[in-house]
Amino acid sequence: MSRGFDDDVILGKAYDGRLVRRLAVFVVPYWRRLALAIALLVGATLAEIVPPLLVQRAIDGPISAGRLEGLTPLFALYAGALLVTFVLRYSHNYIINSIGQTVMQDMRVKLFRHIQRMSLSFFDRNPVGRLLTRITNDVDALNEFLTQGLVLILGDLVTLVGIVAIMFALNWRLALISVATLPVLMLIVALYQRLMRATYRLVRQRLALINAYLNEQIGGVLVTQLFGRERASKAHFHTLSEDYLAANTRSLLIFAIFIPAVQLIAAIATAALLYGGGQGVLAGWATLGMLTAFVLYTERAFQPIRNLAERYTVLQAAMASAERIFGVLDSPEEVRDPEHPVALPTPVRGAITFDKVVFGYDPDEPVLKGISLHIPAGQAVAIVGATGAGKSSLVGLIARFYDVQQGRITLDGVDIRQLRQRDLRRHVAAVPQDPVCFSGTIASNIRLHNDAISDAHMRWAAETVNAASFIERLPGGYDHEVRERGANLSLGQRQLLAFARALAFNPAVLLVLDEATSSVDTATEALIQQALERMLRGRTSIIIAHRLSTIRHVDRIIVLHQGRVVEDGSHAALMARRGYYYRLYQLQFAEQGEAQPVGPEQR
Amino acid sequence: MANLRHLLPYLARYRWPLLAGLLCAVIGASASALGPYVLRLAVDELASGRIVPASLLRFAGLIIVAALADGIFKFLQRMLIGGTAYRIEFDLRAALFDRFLRLDQGFYARHHTGDLMARATNDLGVVRQFLGPGLNGTATALLTFAAAAVLMLTINRTLALIVLLLLPLSTLVFVLVGRRMRQVFTSVQDQFGVISTRAQEHFSGIRTIKAYAQEEAELAVFAEDNRRYRELNLRYVLLSGALWPSMALCLGAVAALVLLVGGRLVASGAISIGALVQFNAYLGLLSFPMIMLGWMVSLYQQAAASMGRLVEVLHQQPAIASPPQPIALPAPRGAVEYRGVGVRFSAEALQADSDDPGSPANERHAGWMFYDVSFSVPAGRSLAIVGATGAGKTTLVNLLARVRDPDAGTVLLDGNDVRRLALADLRRAVGYVPQETFLFSVPLRDNLTLGVDDPADPAVAARLQYAVAVSRLVNDLGQFPDGLATMVGERGVTLSGGQKQRAAIARAVLRDPAVLVLDDALSSVDTHTAAQILAGLRDVLRRRTSIIIAQRIATVREADQIIVLHEGRIVERGSHAELLRLGGRYAAMYRRELLAAELTD
Repeated sequence: MSRGFDDDVILGKAYDGRLVRRLAVFVVPYWRRLALAIALLVGATLAEIVPPLLVQRAIDGPISAGRLEGLTPLFALYAGALLVTFVLRYSHNYIINSIGQTVMQDMRVKLFRHIQRMSLSFFDRNPVGRLLTRITNDVDALNEFLTQGLVLILGDLVTLVGIVAIMFALNWRLALISVATLPVLMLIVALYQRLMRATYRLVRQRLALINAYLNEQIGGVLVTQLFGRERASKAHFHTLSEDYLAANTRSLLIFAIFIPAVQLIAAIATAALLYGGGQGVLAGWATLGMLTAFVLYTERAFQPIRNLAERYTVLQAAMASAERIFGVLDSPEEVRDPEHPVALPTPVRGAITFDKVVFGYDPDEPVLKGISLHIPAGQAVAIVGATGAGKSSLVGLIARFYDVQQGRITLDGVDIRQLRQRDLRRHVAAVPQDPVCFSGTIASNIRLHNDAISDAHMRWAAETVNAASFIERLPGGYDHEVRERGANLSLGQRQLLAFARALAFNPAVLLVLDEATSSVDTATEALIQQALERMLRGRTSIIIAHRLSTIRHVDRIIVLHQGRVVEDGSHAALMARRGYYYRLYQLQFAEQGEAQPVGPEQR
Repeated sequence: MANLRHLLPYLARYRWPLLAGLLCAVIGASASALGPYVLRLAVDELASGRIVPASLLRFAGLIIVAALADGIFKFLQRMLIGGTAYRIEFDLRAALFDRFLRLDQGFYARHHTGDLMARATNDLGVVRQFLGPGLNGTATALLTFAAAAVLMLTINRTLALIVLLLLPLSTLVFVLVGRRMRQVFTSVQDQFGVISTRAQEHFSGIRTIKAYAQEEAELAVFAEDNRRYRELNLRYVLLSGALWPSMALCLGAVAALVLLVGGRLVASGAISIGALVQFNAYLGLLSFPMIMLGWMVSLYQQAAASMGRLVEVLHQQPAIASPPQPIALPAPRGAVEYRGVGVRFSAEALQADSDDPGSPANERHAGWMFYDVSFSVPAGRSLAIVGATGAGKTTLVNLLARVRDPDAGTVLLDGNDVRRLALADLRRAVGYVPQETFLFSVPLRDNLTLGVDDPADPAVAARLQYAVAVSRLVNDLGQFPDGLATMVGERGVTLSGGQKQRAAIARAVLRDPAVLVLDDALSSVDTHTAAQILAGLRDVLRRRTSIIIAQRIATVREADQIIVLHEGRIVERGSHAELLRLGGRYAAMYRRELLAAELTD
């Protein structure tokens, strides 16, 4: 929210053939409905231009002649034309919007599918807010493009051509008088469009400045107050606000001139028709009815021309959105499934080997600088080290959230890059540092959306990790509603839920990224430890440990320091060495029991 | 709806331009109603066949003159009324900003920035629309309707009544369909919220989704959300797609009726053919304003709601304000005293963090962040505060400059209760270097001279140099493209945590306060630079009272007095040497720090 105010879209082209062709791919499946919608629109615009013709017939026929009975059929036709217009317009609106909605749905799902296939480095680069804008606003702009842009321009053209044609068929001399005013109108619209676009951009830019300033001032209001800067802030805000007022006044001026100018053109057209047509009536080449019909037609011909300005903006916005959407769709998958995936030997045992692994989020700055390790099936390992030592990276690589730059990682002897990601992750479960919760129910947070996990299995998992007791106390139990980010659960509860999730998926390899949870009370802490111990039983597990109590459960400790394994062995052996682990232990674990998690100042 | 009466004072301020605008609207409406009248005269003369080209030209000229007059007055009307709307928006925005600057942190804790921004942008925009195009359109619509009504009634009562009674039907249809549309639209927007929340949660939790290979299942759920969104949208389109076609139908039906009934009247000789043309022209003239009126009804409702949200802020009284008759504090010495001070947890904080370890077990003091805190710092001396995260150290020092007021006890500066001092005086006397520094998107120099009354004063330059040196910000200047003139923030450079803290120190030093508060101000600075800054600050601190919150012993060891805050109260107090001898929490903290230092070497 804090960003985005100055997200002033600089609009470019209103039509880009390359983009439109790519967009067309999404519409092609619905071409029949689109054709129908267009046909309905053409029908509606044609029906719309009938009434003035009927007015002409009525005036020149029954009304002038005084034959009242001739008026009723014309009235019936008039009413008929109105009803037809209504039905056709309405069905067009409905159909074109239903196509738009369906296309949007397709596009959102496609975007979603593509984005979730991206590797985690893509998510590191693209903030969630940006991805969200693509999938929401940008897709909406494309809907506008379809429903308010292209098709309606077609409708406007049909209206214009239809009116001009009917005028010439009716009386070519009067038609010439009418049509003569249209270029003037087009000129005015074009001028208005150009002036307004520049002014509107100015208005938006200045508003963006105000909003950015306002946003910043709200964020830093305490600083302003403590440093007694209120007056200066107000003065600056006043200036920005005045600039905005000036830009707005300018746009008001343009608008206030434009609208009467268009009306004046219409009046001139009427006057010209009256003067020219009046002589025609006297000379006998025109009738009063024609004169009336032409006044009505000229007014109607104005509307499509005035629409142009608006449609242009819609097209521009759509092109900009399409550009951004295809930008996302074109971003390549970095972590890909192999073309010929290998199947894991069954049963999966869970032996993991790191073979000279080098990895860095930025390849020029490796975080892991040549790691070689073998973790036999069933072993429980703790990884310790200072912040930035590469612990999380190491674990992320096993789940193939990223790919190594050098070396390889194997699971049961198979390079994990030769496996399908789904197959790998079915057997490797990672419990993230920050226990993630989704809005939904407790049950949906444990099994996610995997229907293969039965209720009984889910309950078993919750019971095993000690989550069942708190869940059952919640109103609704497993159906209790979990709010966004799990806001209505405590941190400890979320942690237990994340454990239950890991256990429910019953992986061969468990990766626990365990971060110190300082705000968990001692009772919950004991529950978590017990749960952890049960989860480690019978499977390969790798834990990032920040707590002494966690380390008690493992067979082996690996110490990482600046991207290398510096020590490797059992707790007793490493303590005996009196090396890095010994000191780390003294520092991090020796004084536990104090509320304060000890965070040594790193570098 | 009553909310809109709060606009009256603003409207009254511009009553003359508004009245002038209204006058222009009256003239414009009359002129526009005259056009069709001229047309009628011309048509009637044409029908009689006795017209000469010269008089045709005269009629044509009259039509243009009427349109010209109409145009000129409409122009004036728009400029006057629309311009006033923009001015009122300007005034409201200024009032809102003024209020934002005066409101206290309690208010900001209750309202998200996003919500406040929405009021200052969306709600203000709606009110402006109501005042500008809204009032403008209503005036035009009603006056044109009235002028045309008078002229139509003089011609033929029956035909006039058909038009005058049936045309407002289109307004009614617009209002009714529009209202129903808004209802359905709410459910559409709710579902849109579901989609966007789903996508957001999914992308934020992508690690978990990938870890359990749940992509396909998630996609299915997302697709289902989208299907539902489409269905709701189609229900909306069922209404919105009908809105304009039904407007056209209503207006067309009136035109058809005029043709039928008017035609009979012409044929029977009750009215002239010119009169029929005139009626037709009025239909064209009135159709858009009638729709406009319908729009105005919904705009009115929205504006009332928006104005309500604006008034909520505008009428908010700051909880922290200067007393009516403040005690003067011309030359603060900087003696600080806390007497039995206590602060409660806010209700929201309690709810969110039920298992917070910081809340004391003691029943009597449950719900207190800290209580019974008393200490005194004589002018020119120093106090250090240590304690766990969440112990309330920041809140404690924030009481001094009245960022908030305590729930119990008194805070005194130079022997005066701070609540009895003028806020400006009090804050002039206290300089803060907060934990998280807020830098504005202005040049670095302006960020530093923030608290200086007259930055253009030549003497400031020398002081600035001194402050930059003391804070060791001088080490970083080489990294900034334009030195002190470098823009900070999104459009300039982003400062590191340590650089921000050094800037904050320089800023506070430059303000030359009687009391300097360093709230964990060196946490993002490396040990070496921290030592340099401390050495430089020693000279600054010698001449004023200082209160220092720190995690590092090195930062606090030289303070005259150190207090340890734990579980809501002061558990240890004394000098560095005394506390080490005590062998309590402070001593343990010291040992831990020695170990850490050894490890990083």
